Parts: sequence; C-alpha cells; structure tokens
Amino acid sequence: MSATLEPASDSDEDAYLARVLSEIEAEVRAKRASGELPARVERELDELFLEFSPVAGRAGGLHDALRMVDAATFIDPVVPVGSAKSGGAVVKKGLRSLSLWYVGYITHQVSQLATAVSRALHILDEQVTDLRRQLDAQRVPPSLVVEADWANGPDAWWVEEGVRTLAAARGRVLHTAAGDGWLVRRLTAEGVSAYGVDPRPERIERAEFDGTDLRDEDVVAHLRAVESAALDGIILSGVVDGMTAGERLALLDLVVDRLSPGGTLVVHSLSRAGWESDQAPVAADLCGGHPLRLATWSFLLGEQGFDVRAQPGPEGLDYLVVGVLGDTVTASR
Amino acid sequence: MKVAFVTPRYGPEVMGGAETAARQLAEHLVADCGAEVEVFSTCALDHVTWEDVLEPGDSELNGVTVHRFASDAGRNPDFYGLDGKLRLAPREATRRESQRWVELNGPVTNRLLAALSESDAQVAAFYPYLYYPSVKGIGHVPMPGVLHPAAHDEPALYLPIFRGTYTNADAICYHTIAERRLVQRIHPVADRPQIVLGLGVSDPAGNGRRGGAVLGIGERPYVVSVGRVDSHKGSVMLASFFATYKERHPGPLCLALVGPVSAEIPEHPDIVVTGILDEGDKWDVVRDAKVSISPSALESFSLVVLEAWQESLPVMVNAACDPTREHCERSGGGMWFGSYREFEAILERLLDDDDLRHVLGRRGRAYVDRHYQWPVLIRRYAEFLGQVIDRGRGTTGVL
Repeated sequence: MSATLEPASDSDEDAYLARVLSEIEAEVRAKRASGELPARVERELDELFLEFSPVAGRAGGLHDALRMVDAATFIDPVVPVGSAKSGGAVVKKGLRSLSLWYVGYITHQVSQLATAVSRALHILDEQVTDLRRQLDAQRVPPSLVVEADWANGPDAWWVEEGVRTLAAARGRVLHTAAGDGWLVRRLTAEGVSAYGVDPRPERIERAEFDGTDLRDEDVVAHLRAVESAALDGIILSGVVDGMTAGERLALLDLVVDRLSPGGTLVVHSLSRAGWESDQAPVAADLCGGHPLRLATWSFLLGEQGFDVRAQPGPEGLDYLVVGVLGDTVTASR
Repeated sequence: MKVAFVTPRYGPEVMGGAETAARQLAEHLVADCGAEVEVFSTCALDHVTWEDVLEPGDSELNGVTVHRFASDAGRNPDFYGLDGKLRLAPREATRRESQRWVELNGPVTNRLLAALSESDAQVAAFYPYLYYPSVKGIGHVPMPGVLHPAAHDEPALYLPIFRGTYTNADAICYHTIAERRLVQRIHPVADRPQIVLGLGVSDPAGNGRRGGAVLGIGERPYVVSVGRVDSHKGSVMLASFFATYKERHPGPLCLALVGPVSAEIPEHPDIVVTGILDEGDKWDVVRDAKVSISPSALESFSLVVLEAWQESLPVMVNAACDPTREHCERSGGGMWFGSYREFEAILERLLDDDDLRHVLGRRGRAYVDRHYQWPVLIRRYAEFLGQVIDRGRGTTGVL
C-alpha cells in the first residue's frame, strides 16, 4: 500500500490523514472478515492488549467485546503436552489420552454454554444497535453556542453591568461560552478569580499562552465536576438561548447547587425578537430550543430562591437577568 | 519568587516520570526564570521500599536547594494485603481504610512536612498525588499548594482519601487534557485554578553514530520503543505483536526495545533489547528509526512520544492510553492501535508510505515546538505560580 500525495496545507493534510485512517479501518474490517488470522492467535494477542489497559479503555465498543467472547467460545480439550523435563511430555501425553473422554465431555458442554451466551449477546447487540438508530433519527440537535458579535463581546451593553455585579466576588467566578476569554480577562483585571469554559477548542487555544484560565468543556459536564457551593458567580452567556426546556432546567439545577450562599447568577440571552431577527446568528436556526421570555427567567429563578433583577437590552433584541441566591436555599441543600 | 517542591524521591539517580518532571521544572525555574527553588524530599531511591539510601541534610543540585529527610516509615509489608483488598472496589473503601493505605504505602515523612511548614517559600508544588507527603501536606502547610497529580486511571485514584488531596489544592497542574478529564470524572475539582502544562523536551544530542550500529543490526530497518521494558508498560504485548507481524511479513525489519529491563522478553532474531543506553546513543537510535512505538496504556504524559517527534519521527501509540492518544489527535503526528489487527495495518502502511511518515513526523515536530519547548513552557508555569501566589491560600484543608 503506498500513497504519493504530498499535501500542501494543514487542511489538506487533515483531509489526507482522515482518508488514510479510513483506509486503514477498511483494511482492518476486511481482514477480520476474511478470517485469515487464526481466531485463537487473534484472541491471545487481543488478551495481551487488554491485560494492562485501564478500566475505561476496556469498555471499548460492544462489537469489540463480542469479538473477544466469540474467540473464546471454543474450549480446547487437547491440552499442550510440552515439558522441560525429560519424559515429561510422554507422561503428559499419556494422561491426556486417558482423560480426554472426560475432559472432552466437560469442555463440549462449556463450549455449548458459551455459544448460547454469545448468541444471546449478539441478539442484544442487534437490538441495541437498532434502538440506537431509531434514537439517532429522533435526536434533538445538541444546543449550540449562540454568539452574535453585537451581543457577545467586550462592547456589548450588558458587560459593564455584569462586571459591576461580580466585581466584589471573593471566590471563583465561571463564564460559560467564554470564547477567547475576553470577559474572563476583564473580570481578572477587576481582581476577580475568574475562569471560563467553552466547548469550541479552536476558540480557546490562544489563551493557553496568555495565562487565561480557559477549558475546552461543555458547561453541564463542567458543572457536574464542581463541588456544591464552590462558585461565587456564574455568567451564562451564549449558552441558554437555544437550549430545550429539559436542558435548561437541568442546567439551572446544577447552577443552584454549585453557587455558594449569596452567589450571583448572570444570564444573558437573546430575546424572542432577537432570535427571530436578521441579526441573530446562524445557530439560532439550528438549535433545538428557543429563548425564554424575560418574565419566565424571573419566574424560574424566583422559584429557585434567587433575588432577581431583570433588564431588557436597548433594542429589545436581548436581555440581562441577575439573580442572587438566598442563604435559605443553600442552607437547605 | 520562592518555590518549594515536595516529592518523595529527588535526584538524577531516580528513574521515574513524576520525579524527573519535578526536577526538570525545579531546575528550569531557577535557570530560566531566576526563581529561588528548594526541594523537600526523602533519602529514598526505591519507590517500592522507600529505604533510606541517600544522606539526610541539605545540599545543592543544579542551583536547587535540596532538603532530605529520613522517612519515619517506608512501605509496610501489610500494604500489599490491604491494597489487594481495596483495589477490587476502591470507591467502597472507608476513609479509615484508605488513610491506612496511604500510611502503609509510605513514605511517612512527618519531619519533612514540619520543615516545609517552617519554610518561607511562597508556594509549594506537590508531586505526585499518590503518596503521604502530598496527602498530608496539601492544605496543611501555610503557603498555597499546587498539586501535580501525575494521575493514571488506577484503583488508588478512586480511594476516598484522595478527594481531600485534590479538593484541598489551591491549584492543579495537569500533564494533559486527558489527565484533567480523568481527575474531574472522579473528584469535584473542575473549579480549581488549573493549567495543562506537560513537560519540556531537551534538544536531541546524539553521538553521531548510525542507529543500526548502536543496535548491532547494521543497515537493517527498525522500529523503536523507548521506555521501561515492562509488561505493565506494554513491552511484552509489543514484542508478541511484532513477532506475529514478522511471521506474516518476513523481511529485515527489527524492533528495538530501549530502556531498563524489568520483564523477560522472549528471544527473537528480529527483536533487540538494549537495556539502558546513554543519552547520545538513545538519540542516535531514535533518529534513524522508521517509527517510534509507545505500547503503554498507562502513561500520564509520555516524554518519549515527544522526543520521537523532536526527530520528526511518526509514532504509534496504544489506543487505550488517553494522554498519548491525545498527543496524536491534537498534533496529527501519530496513529493509535487498539488490537493486533490495527497494529499490523498501521505499521504496514507506515513502513510502505514515505509521504505519510513525513507528514506525521513534521506535524509532530510542529506540535512539540509550539507547546513543549522549555522557554515557552517554563514561562507559562512561572506565570501560573505567580497567579497562585497572588490568590493566596484557600480554605484550611481537611482530611
């Protein structure tokens, strides 16, 4: 197998490497299907591979696990008779001949059991695969970062208010969909211990070299890995706009739990009008949900024990909601 | 800036990823950033017994002040029984059991911790998470503490005692994003100030010999695997994979296993086990290889992958090892195998395809230049420590 292509740019190289990987995967599938490597050899080699793999790595795919089960289904009653001692092999061979009728009877039944288990697992695999296909067809697209130049940047109208609100925070403050870290840097300059997460690795890459604390993480996954009451402030901007009702409520539950007593939540979102306007970003058409009305945020946060302050944007295209978590809520956790 | 490093073993005689990393960071902070660095360590060289071998007291090593303390206790033989029991279901261990696990594991170093508490260092860097000095030190000394976990997906990481080790840290320094993801999956520390730093690479310095001459194989082509030759590190698996590959693809290709040997590799006419080589010979062998292979599934960083890229060599890594796979995915400088079939297909393709090897090697080299050259890396680390110092100590630690 040989390729003569000499790619020119990074994107050419990315495409080239993706093609090479898919060619290798196709070759692996074809060779595996052909059975040209004896199953026992393949099983022994795969077992060697798995022996010191970490727990998470062993999970692999169900197909891979089944392959191991299939390869191990046959129990060989003809035991090896090699020996380092003189005459050992002859003795072992004699013992094997004498006991083969018995061992063979047992291994035959064990192999039958293993085959039945393997068949059941294959049926299960097919059913799970079928279910997954059906789910994929009905899947709600994951909520995207909804970021408009005019609403999500250092010159946006709500930024001063957000910074002022959080300037006195003594603990950690999280900004979600932090982009290149523009708001994290602004808060840090005010003496706030701020950091950010963003699910778009290409947006945060530069921050690696300027000391800004940014991570390539989804906000929900991130908050799940934070202790209760660990954060003094959370800024949700570009995140909640396109969420479905379920996603938004799950996020809100996490936010309430992770904020410290008296902690502050700042929510910036496009309004319904902004969502429908030509100034909305493309993501607005691709998300599974749509923005809540301002009054709904006030209601939801009030229900969760926040002291709420809401402010529509000057053009009515977006809004800001600030909630301070009451001590009684956190005390009851 | 005055920085204290706390690590159970320290010195050029110590073979160990975490300990070498600590020494390199300490020495580069002194040499490149003008920092004042002191190290608090034991007299041990062996991480199995923690036997006191070196003299206790103060000394200086490459500009770093080293304070060594005899251990109050090394590894207790009862450790193995308890470890065997707890590793079956580490999450279910009680705090008392896991605390005892740490004490039996050793090295118990109360004098070291008392001296650290008296130090005027502005920040303490603990390396790695697993041992008594980090568990008992973080959150209990007057200066802010930075934890360098060097974590693997291993049963100990799940023991309840280590939750305090992580949550009491004022900041965490990870080797890779994969390590951060692993730690955050187990301990709730995502809000902690953190940095994904890794380690720097030194410039290749070969002796100018042909790699084949060092290995005694003349002009035969070869692939190389550098690191401890150990079944846990995947060396036995690699040797078996390679022997099978050679049965199915006869030819002159050799495999060179370079590093200290702690596992028996079956004799094979195409496999060369060198033992420890001096640095110059090692670089010569790496430079002339066709491919560098990292078979280990248990790496928290893997300098050898980066060193191969220093020489623009393509690499193959174990698909179950998140950190090395992350290096390959981010750089586009290598490929990963999750079975013998994949190993065979990738190796065959790499050996037959000069252009592919060239592209992978070049991208790997660019990745190393961007992220892992010492001047870039140590500046980021010094800035990070400065931020930790500015923020000061967090809450009082609890065990």
